[in-house]
Amino acid sequence: MSRVWAVAKNSFVSAMRMKTAIVFMLLLIILLPILSITSTGDGTIKGRIQSFISYGLGLTGFLLSILTIIVSCYTLSSDIKHKQIYTVVTKPIRRFELILGKTLGVVLLDTLLLLVFSSIIYALTLQMPRLTKTKGDELVRLNNEFFTARASLKPDIDEQVIETKAQKSYKELQRSGQLNDSRSKQAVMQELKDIARYSMHSAEPGGMVIWEFKNVKPFDSNDNIFVRFKFEASRIPPDKNIYGVWYVGDYRQIKYGQEKMKTPIYAAPRKDVVKTVQEFQVPANAVAADGYLAVVFYNEPMNDSTIIFPQEDGFEVLYRAGNFGLNFVRATLIIFARLVFFAALGVSLSTWLGFPVAVMCSLAVFFTGVINGFIIGSFAYLGENVSLFYKYAVEPMIWLLPKFDQGCNISKYIIDAKLIGTAFFAVTIAGLAVKSAILLVAGFIIFARREIAKVIV
Amino acid sequence: MTENNGQFAIETFSLTKIFADWWGRSRVVAVDNLNLKVRNNQVFGLLGPNGSGKTTILKMLLGLLHPTRGRAVVLGGDGKDPKISAQIGFLPEESYLYSYLNARETLDFYGSLFGLNSRVRKSRIDALLDMVGLAGMANRPIGTFSKGMARRIGLAQALINDPKLLILDEPTSGLDPIGTRQIKDLIVELARRGKTILLSSHLLADAEEVCDRVAILYGGLVQREGSVEELLERKDKTQITTNILTDRAMEQIRRIVEKDGGEFEVKPPMQKLESFFIDIVRQAQQAKRPTSGAMNRLEATDAERAAAMSNVLDKLVAAKIEPSEKTEQAEVETVKIRPDDDILGKLTQEPQQITEPVVREKKPETPELPPQQDGIKKDLLNELVKPKGFTERIKKKDKKTEEKKNE
Repeated sequence: MSRVWAVAKNSFVSAMRMKTAIVFMLLLIILLPILSITSTGDGTIKGRIQSFISYGLGLTGFLLSILTIIVSCYTLSSDIKHKQIYTVVTKPIRRFELILGKTLGVVLLDTLLLLVFSSIIYALTLQMPRLTKTKGDELVRLNNEFFTARASLKPDIDEQVIETKAQKSYKELQRSGQLNDSRSKQAVMQELKDIARYSMHSAEPGGMVIWEFKNVKPFDSNDNIFVRFKFEASRIPPDKNIYGVWYVGDYRQIKYGQEKMKTPIYAAPRKDVVKTVQEFQVPANAVAADGYLAVVFYNEPMNDSTIIFPQEDGFEVLYRAGNFGLNFVRATLIIFARLVFFAALGVSLSTWLGFPVAVMCSLAVFFTGVINGFIIGSFAYLGENVSLFYKYAVEPMIWLLPKFDQGCNISKYIIDAKLIGTAFFAVTIAGLAVKSAILLVAGFIIFARREIAKVIV
Repeated sequence: MTENNGQFAIETFSLTKIFADWWGRSRVVAVDNLNLKVRNNQVFGLLGPNGSGKTTILKMLLGLLHPTRGRAVVLGGDGKDPKISAQIGFLPEESYLYSYLNARETLDFYGSLFGLNSRVRKSRIDALLDMVGLAGMANRPIGTFSKGMARRIGLAQALINDPKLLILDEPTSGLDPIGTRQIKDLIVELARRGKTILLSSHLLADAEEVCDRVAILYGGLVQREGSVEELLERKDKTQITTNILTDRAMEQIRRIVEKDGGEFEVKPPMQKLESFFIDIVRQAQQAKRPTSGAMNRLEATDAERAAAMSNVLDKLVAAKIEPSEKTEQAEVETVKIRPDDDILGKLTQEPQQITEPVVREKKPETPELPPQQDGIKKDLLNELVKPKGFTERIKKKDKKTEEKKNE
C-alpha cells in the first residue's frame, strides 16, 4: 500500500505543478464569485440563486471532469512517453499497484478541488439572500422552495390496470359488433390502451382525475406538501384560465365511508392558466398515518373543456423530506463519483493508448454521458431489428457509459430543491463505482501484459 | 537460486529479441541467441557500438521488454518479480527522472517504491546526495539540472535500496571527468563489497578500468568474451617502468636489450588526461572558486579516493550503525578531503530484509570460470578464462589504503 501511496503522491504533485490544474483552478476561482453577482434568472431572488447554482455546479462539474480527463490520461502516458516508467516498473512495485496509484493521485486532486469549489458554491449560495437583504414572503418562499430537499411523487402508471381496461373495452366492442375486420387485434388493443392511459389523466367537464400515492413520508407533519401541475385543455378559453377544485387527503375515507374522519381533506378551488407550471401547498397532515395520499382534480363543468395532464410533467406532489445541506452534499458526492469514474477511465485508456487518443476517447465518453438518453433512445430504436446483438453487445457497452442527463442531472435536483433519495444516491454511486472498477481491472490486465519499452520498427 | 546454485547473478538461455514492424513482421534482430553468464560479484561490461543490442539485453533482464525467444534468469528468478527487483539497482541509459520533483523528493519517491520507511529513506537520501555531490542542491527541481547532475541523481536512485545487483546502462554518459572518475571508483568499491555489476558502455577506456570481464557485441551477437587482462595483454612487448635513470644506467640497459636482439625506446610516461584534469579542478577548488554545478570531493591520490569511496559505502552496508550525527561540512563546501564516517552508516541504519550486510574482509575470490559450452569458439575461450587481474588489483588497492591509514 505504501507503494501505491508513493505513486499517488507523485502523480498528485505532478498535477499540482502542471499548469493545467492551476488554469482550471483560477478559472473557477474567478468565475464563481462573478456568477453569484451576475446571474439574474427570472429576476426574483429564487431565480437568481437557482441560476447561480445551476451555472456554478454545472461549471464546476464540467471543468473538473475535463481536468480529470486530461490529468488522468497524462499521468501514465507521459511516464511511458518520457520513459520515467523505466525507473518505476523496475522497482519492486506490481503493475496494478502503479495503475491504482496513478488513479488515486488523480482522485486526490479531485477531492481537494471539489471540496474547495463546492464549499465556495455552498457558502455563496447561503450568502446570496443575506447580501440582497431578502425579507418577508420572498424569504419564506425561498426557504420553502429552494433551501430544502423535497421528495417528488409522480403518478406511476399501472400497466396492469391499463391492460384490464383495454381488454374490457375490446370485449365491449366485440359484443356490440363494432370491430372492423381490416384492423388487427394488436392495433386495436394498442389504441384502446392509449385511450385508457389518456383517460386516467384527463377529466371531462364535471369529471375528475385522481392520483393515489403510497409510502409518503413528510419530514415533519407540520410542513406543507406542494402540488405542482401543468394542464392542457381541449378548448382554451379567451383568458386561458381554467377553473377547478383540488382535493388533497385520504380519499379512502370518502370512498369506503368511514365513521369518522381521521385526517383532514383539504379543498383548494383554483383558477389557473393552461400550459404553465403551477404550484400550491396544503398542510402535510393531509397524509394518512400509513403514508397514503390522494389528490383529486375536479373539472368545473363551466369550463366546457376536457382537461388533460401531460404524462411527462403534468403532475407532481412534492414534500420536504430532507434539508438543503444534506442534499447538496449528496449532489457533490455524485459529482465526485463521476470524477472517480473519469480518473479510472483516463488511466485505464492510457495503459494502451497515447495521450491524445486517450483524451479524445475520454471526451467522447463524457459527451456521450451528457446526451445518454438520446443515445439509448436511438440505439433502442435501431436495435429492434438486431435484438440479440443489441442485447449482448450494445446494451452492456451503453450501460458502461455514464449518464448525466434526464433523471441523472444532479444540478437540476438542487435547482428544483428535489431530494436526492437514498436509494437513488446509493444506486448511482454504486453504479459508478462498479463501472470504475471494471475499467481499472481492464487497465490492470492490459498493462500487466504490455511490453513497456516496446519499439516498433 | 534454483537453477545455478547461486553461482551466477545473471544467466540467459538463447535470449533473442526481434523487433517487429507495425504489421507484426520481423524487422530487426536486436539480440541473437545470447547465452550470457555473469557470476556473482563480477563487474561485467557489455561493450559494443551503438545499436549492437546492449540496452535491449538490459531491458529484457529487467522485464521492460519481452524476449522473442529464450529466457533470462536474474538473481535466480524473474527480473519482473518484486522479490527480485527489490535487490536490483537500475540506471537507464538516460536519467529518466521527473523534472518537477526536486532531488530529495525524487530519491524519496524511489525509496518509497522499495517500501523503505521514512527514517531510513531520510538518512539514505542525505548520504547519497552527499555522495553524488548534490547535497547543496537537494531542493532544486531536477528540471533545472544539467545532464550530468541528473545522471548523478539517477545513480543515487539506483543505489537507494543497497542493491545486490547493479545494472548500469552507459553509467558515465553525460558526466564530467570528475563524475566519471567517481562512478568508476564507486563501481570498483561496490564490486569489492561483493556486489555484482552489469554495465553497458561504448566508452572503452572506462570499461577497461573497472570491468573484470567484458563481452563485445555486434549486431546482437557476442563477438568476443573474456577477462579484460587476457583480452588486452600484448604478448610481443615488455614494458619497464622505473624512476628517472642516469644516462649510464640507460646505456647499460640499451646494451643488454640490443645484445638480446630487441628494439629499445625510451620516453617519460605520459600522465593520463583524466588525472591531469582532476588535478587542475582540485587546485581550483582549493582556491575557493565558486561553482553552481555539482560539488565533488576530490581526493588527491587514487588511494585517498578509494579510501573515501570505501568510507561512504561502509556506511551504506554496515549492519550496525552508530547513532546518526550531523554531517560535518568542511569550511569550503567544494573541497572535502575526507567524507564523514557516518554517511554510509546512515544509509544502512535499518537494513531491510533484502539487504544483506556485506562483510568486507570476506570478499570471495572470483572463482575460475568453466569454459562456456555454447556459441563461442573453445580455443578462444580457453585463453579468456583465467581471471586473476581483478582480484590482484583489489588487493593492491587495499594494501595502499591500509598504508595510507597507518601513516
